[in-house]
Amino acid sequence: MKQFITTFAKFILCAFIMYCGILFVWGRTLSARFKPNLYYCVAAYGHTFSRLKEVKTKKNIDILFLGSSHAYRGFDTRIFEKNGYETFNLGSSAQTPMQTKILLKRYLEKLKPKLIIYEVYPATFTIDGVESGLDIISNDYNDLGSAKMALELNNIKIYNTFLYGTYIDFIDLNANYKEKRRKKYDNYIPGGFVERDMKITKIKTYNQSEWVFKENQLLHFEEIITYLKSEKIEVKLVYAPIPKSKYKSYTNRKEFDSIMKTHGEYINFNENPFLNDSLHYYDNDHLNQEGVTIFNQKLIELLKSKK
Amino acid sequence: MLFNSLDFALFLPIVFVLYWFVFHKTYKSQNILLLVASYFFYACWDWRFMFLLLFSTLLDYFTGLKMCESTKLNNKKFWFWLSIIINLGFLGVFKYYNFFAQSLADSVAHIGITLHPWMLDIVLPVGISFYTFHGLSYVIDIYKNRIKAEKNIVDYAIFVSYFPLLVAGPIERATHLLPQLQVKRSFNYQNAVDGMRQILWGFFKKVVIADNCARFADMIFNNSEDYSGSTLVAGALFFSLQIYGDFSGYSDIAIGVSKLFGIDLLRNFAFPYFSRDIAEFWRRWHISLSSWFRDYLYYPLGGSQGNTWIKVRNTFIIFGVSGFWHGANWTFIFWGILNAVYFLPLLLTQKNRTNIDIVAKGKVFPSLKELFQMTTTFALVTLAWIFFRAKNMNHALNYIGEIFSSSLFTIPKFEKMGVALTLIQVILFFIIVEWLGRENKHALEKIGLKWNRFFRWFFYSFILFLIGMFISNEETPFIYFQF
Repeated sequence: MKQFITTFAKFILCAFIMYCGILFVWGRTLSARFKPNLYYCVAAYGHTFSRLKEVKTKKNIDILFLGSSHAYRGFDTRIFEKNGYETFNLGSSAQTPMQTKILLKRYLEKLKPKLIIYEVYPATFTIDGVESGLDIISNDYNDLGSAKMALELNNIKIYNTFLYGTYIDFIDLNANYKEKRRKKYDNYIPGGFVERDMKITKIKTYNQSEWVFKENQLLHFEEIITYLKSEKIEVKLVYAPIPKSKYKSYTNRKEFDSIMKTHGEYINFNENPFLNDSLHYYDNDHLNQEGVTIFNQKLIELLKSKK
Repeated sequence: MLFNSLDFALFLPIVFVLYWFVFHKTYKSQNILLLVASYFFYACWDWRFMFLLLFSTLLDYFTGLKMCESTKLNNKKFWFWLSIIINLGFLGVFKYYNFFAQSLADSVAHIGITLHPWMLDIVLPVGISFYTFHGLSYVIDIYKNRIKAEKNIVDYAIFVSYFPLLVAGPIERATHLLPQLQVKRSFNYQNAVDGMRQILWGFFKKVVIADNCARFADMIFNNSEDYSGSTLVAGALFFSLQIYGDFSGYSDIAIGVSKLFGIDLLRNFAFPYFSRDIAEFWRRWHISLSSWFRDYLYYPLGGSQGNTWIKVRNTFIIFGVSGFWHGANWTFIFWGILNAVYFLPLLLTQKNRTNIDIVAKGKVFPSLKELFQMTTTFALVTLAWIFFRAKNMNHALNYIGEIFSSSLFTIPKFEKMGVALTLIQVILFFIIVEWLGRENKHALEKIGLKWNRFFRWFFYSFILFLIGMFISNEETPFIYFQF
């Protein structure tokens, strides 16, 4: 029995090392179709790589934006700069509170923002966070926070990508990688904003549905708010504009509003619409540049009026 | 609790440690632990069906004792038939009632009578076909004076409910399992290591081969009207591999897990897709069920003795019943009948026992003749699987109709062809390992044993890696749980 247990323990250790070795060679040499459970997506979408590279050069800013694609496509740092705010946009695709917490723990101390504008998109409270987890693991360095996130997500794709990403970090393989600022219709603006080429779209109609919020995401959200309070940083929770037909299709909007209100100052820009669905969106979710400008001006007015 | 779940990954080491470190002193304490663990394992599915399992156990235990105590044949017969009727009654109600009720309604509808039979709205208790067959073999063996009734209820209860085999077999025999439960099990290093290897290969077959083939088999079978004949052939091949990987994978895990507890279970699969004829296939596929039907149905009916009519009748009965055992659907019955049709020429020409040994024994490659025989057998088996997988007879006939159309000669085309091509390469690796290990009890039993430890462990790690790279994030149940 003793021999069995010791041999098994040795095997597990060796198998882990060999697994990592094979994973690295496999990941580096084979095409995506051979890697269904490995998604190391450096600079794949949303310019996360550029943003997380740039954030390391920033410190002592006025406003930090957090949230999903509605954040990095919705808060134009240039407009805020023109109005005298030094800002950084730390949004990332499908960023759930789980990933927001990780990013805050990594960068808050250095950025020291006076104000955080946290874009709270209800859908990010309803998903597990695998997509955003893969995005963060691939485009930022990996630490204990990433390991904890991997364990919490308990997803084989996340585990493999985390092991692979950690190894890439270890040998610093992405050190000289440069992401193109211009990608198809997207343009990365220093400060973290991604500008989409001006376009309008026909918004589709939606059937009625309900958000089902995940307990763990709400818990992470509470922890974020508590953490920011302990750091004495002002937070504004912002529900950025989405097309009216989409917004109205959710039946439990009030439930979400009331959750947010209990956690701090909350502004829902969808309740009193000031944008036009057929003019100010480039797809069924995101504002086009004209919409962004109007939305940001409105937000700045609000910030100034509250001063 | 699925074998391929996190729950089981916690459950197994806990039971293992308790078994060898806490409850190891006597076989009785070992048995008590196994029984508690087995009931917990079963209750994790649905605790309400525990009562059914307990009732079935107590029924066979007491009728077994009563049969042994009976001095008169009539008394013995009474207890025997009581057990048989109740056991089959439960199986009939839970598994077949809706089928019979609907079939009756459909039949009388042809003569203008409309029936609205009352249908049972209840899920099939998991493992009912397996533990009922355990109980049946036990009472039949007592009735036929092959064994004595077991007096220790704990030992008997484990024979019925032992967790590795409880939900999908192998279907054990009292003569094989009970004696093992009545002696103290001592830890055997080689046996445990072999168990681990078998578990590893079982997992590979389930999560890499079966679950990935299932995605394509499901896609093609569920939308078969949209695909060409050649694509439907691909769908049938994917299903062939799925069902083998799924069920033999489950059996490998069950047998491997049992080895960790020092208990040897009956072999269930012996590389059936390397068979050279249908008779050989049926000696290698779901062995514990085939041998059950052989011993408790086919032989009592006269087996292959007697005149041609008897042989034909018995063959159709055993294959038909075997099909019906799988599920209450005409597709399963037809699947069984079709296999009987395949088997019959071999039986009638007395060639059903031509291929006893494994193919190309002691050789690396098969001869061209053997290759042809294996391919033909596999093609016939795959054709029959279409009935097994189809929703109903119409679906199966349309599926086969499209295969035998001109669209058979087109290039297969379906979604995610690139992923399928990758899967084919993994399948090739699987076939090579199975071929190399075909002379052993399971594929990994001897492969690599003579290698340097580093290479052997690298090989196992590579299999683990393939599992990690191709496993689905959702726990997928085993096909045979529905039976």
